[in-house]
Amino acid sequence: QVQQMQVPVVSSTESWNFGGGVQSYFLFLRFLVVLNFVSFLLIAAFVIIPSIVFRSVGSNLANSTPEDCMEYNPNPQGLEVFYNYFLDLLSGTGFMEYSYLFYGYYNNTMVEDRNFSYNIPLAYLFTAVFYFAFCLICIIAMGTAARVAVATGGSAVGNYSMIVFTGWDFGCLGDRATRLKQKNIHYRLQVDLEEESRNKRAAALTLCQKIVLYSLRIFMGFVAFGLIIGAFYGIFEATNFSQGILGLIIEYLPSIVITAGNFMVPLLCDQIALVERYSPSTTIIVALLAVFLRLVSLGVILFTLWSQITCEGNTSSGDCELCCWETRVGQEMYKLTLFDFLINIAVLVLVEFPRMLVDNWSNKLAQWLGRQEFVVPSNVLGLVYGQTVVWTGALFCPLLPLINTIKFFILFYSKKITLFNNCRPALKTFRSTTSTFFFLVVLLFGWGLATVVMVYSLAIHPSMGCGPFRFFPTMWSIVPTSFYNLSKTTQEFLFFIGSQAFSIPLFALSVVMCYFIALASVYGKSVALLRAQLKLQEGCDKKFLVKQIEELSRQLQISKHNAGVQD
Amino acid sequence: MGTTASQLGKDLLSEYQELTFLTKQEILLAHKRFTELLTKDEKDLPNTRVPMERILTLPELKSNPFRRRICHVFSTCEQKDGSLTFEDFLDLLSAFSDSATLEIKSHYAFRIFDFDDDGTLDSGDLEKLVNCLTGETDDTRLTVEEMRQLISNILEESDIDKDGTVNLSEFQHVISRSPDFVSSFKIVL
Repeated sequence: QVQQMQVPVVSSTESWNFGGGVQSYFLFLRFLVVLNFVSFLLIAAFVIIPSIVFRSVGSNLANSTPEDCMEYNPNPQGLEVFYNYFLDLLSGTGFMEYSYLFYGYYNNTMVEDRNFSYNIPLAYLFTAVFYFAFCLICIIAMGTAARVAVATGGSAVGNYSMIVFTGWDFGCLGDRATRLKQKNIHYRLQVDLEEESRNKRAAALTLCQKIVLYSLRIFMGFVAFGLIIGAFYGIFEATNFSQGILGLIIEYLPSIVITAGNFMVPLLCDQIALVERYSPSTTIIVALLAVFLRLVSLGVILFTLWSQITCEGNTSSGDCELCCWETRVGQEMYKLTLFDFLINIAVLVLVEFPRMLVDNWSNKLAQWLGRQEFVVPSNVLGLVYGQTVVWTGALFCPLLPLINTIKFFILFYSKKITLFNNCRPALKTFRSTTSTFFFLVVLLFGWGLATVVMVYSLAIHPSMGCGPFRFFPTMWSIVPTSFYNLSKTTQEFLFFIGSQAFSIPLFALSVVMCYFIALASVYGKSVALLRAQLKLQEGCDKKFLVKQIEELSRQLQISKHNAGVQD
Repeated sequence: MGTTASQLGKDLLSEYQELTFLTKQEILLAHKRFTELLTKDEKDLPNTRVPMERILTLPELKSNPFRRRICHVFSTCEQKDGSLTFEDFLDLLSAFSDSATLEIKSHYAFRIFDFDDDGTLDSGDLEKLVNCLTGETDDTRLTVEEMRQLISNILEESDIDKDGTVNLSEFQHVISRSPDFVSSFKIVL
């Protein structure tokens, strides 16, 4: 299913149309779909399926709650209005809340037979830890691949005569292919020319102009900073406000504010970047920096939740703890994921599709609006943000990777459709080679944020009303507990793993791995070196030709001279 | 050399094989396609010229932005109207065939790009060339400023003797470093 997703721009003639940046966006999206799907399989195999099996086998298995359990009754009795189901579906409450979707439903079942034992809490914890490690490995593996691409794929700027003299493919058949080819050449020329002219203009600025430009940049930086602070304050207020009061809009207020902030602030940042007159490649970095804004806004929502869960760090008073706060965090992440998806679809249906119709309907109106562009950076930001939300929520909502797989899958095809039907190549230039690397760096940052959240949640007191860890002082304490429950030989084995005899070979293995990774990057570097040499060679050739020409003209002069003498 | 348009003589065929880079099958196919372009009474005449407009209905040339230039370059007509005889047509296919050498291909490419037929690519030629590459409509064309910059860059790169134009040897020098020129300068029926 996943394998069949063809990256649209890779295939045949289409790749000419939109350039490498769009292509790397789709490759990235496909990578995320696969990553999420594999993560889901992992979680399903070790947590969800065992839970379902044990639950259906019977309740006589060890499944107890502590005596001082706080009241946690997620299923209110009584008649449900139909639209409530809808609300529940959107916000993960009601019938959704107490299900396999969220942390709270999982039992602290520990099955122990003579030759079989399975400990759900332990499995839950290890799966989560392994999930994070797995994602990290995937990102890094892709990163090394991307680094090679950066070194080899870097197109030589300014090889204009090559593009112009040999760029045309005379085998192009049909109007469509011809137009695509023309667009591609146009795009390549424009990218190179734009970059060059920017560099020239920057070099030609006088001191006074430079001062004006830099002061403008600083001023705009302050404006952008103010906007970001404002957005954070909005999120903080909204998260506080939405507690306790029912109703879909209020439930969704944090998500709405985050999405609105994400929508508005980058747009304004774009305008600011335009005013500040950075070079195109810097503008892209500025745009990618906006992802940090998104991630930090996620951080703000987490901080607000944290202050509610732990009474602003004052854990001693147990009264203020939300009942089953893990489920609450899971719900919040579920809502963010769902809302992000709905917004994407809504933009597609309500903005991009009508604009396409306008384009087809009236030329004048379309000219006034301009055709839509597929802006790669902001689209990537959306993906990274979605993925970070999933990572953050995966501990509390084990089915989130599955939901995200479906979400990205649908997104892949809808983006493909809009790309081909509604968009034109972005006017803003975007080089694919440098972008792939940036995507991964940003993704790594999101991963880091999510890991901090996970490590922190492992270390604080889990809620007592629900979940697999209701007996334990912290989630992590399951590990030492079960360790000392193990048989003598197993304990010794584990100590052995921790000992030098095992850790030294492991270390050696990791050194070998690092060596291969380094090797890959060295290959990339050597290719770059060869490219540079090729350029040098070109200079030599030119010198040679000039010498030839000089010689020829001298001979010509000599023969003329001789002819003159003979006359 | 009388060509009976309906049938290609055996010795003529082998002669064509000698003189072009085409194989027997390719020549026969070219002949078939060429006769399809002729009207009924033209079919009986030897050495008929097919006007350019009719040549350009071939799907292989129809959407090519250089189609008119190609016809003009390969036409042996005195009036320079771009009309082709069958032998001109074979010449064209031979130059664009798989087995033509880089030398020949680059020579013809130069002539195709030399819009004013003066033997060098000056800035006017380059502008027309770039317009063909990017498309002629207003929104696909480069702006005046971009065009000026591009042409000065091209001349900077390839005009070795700094006379303001690119001559054939300079052109061939650029072409020789492009690994895929031979495969992209190709038209196959």
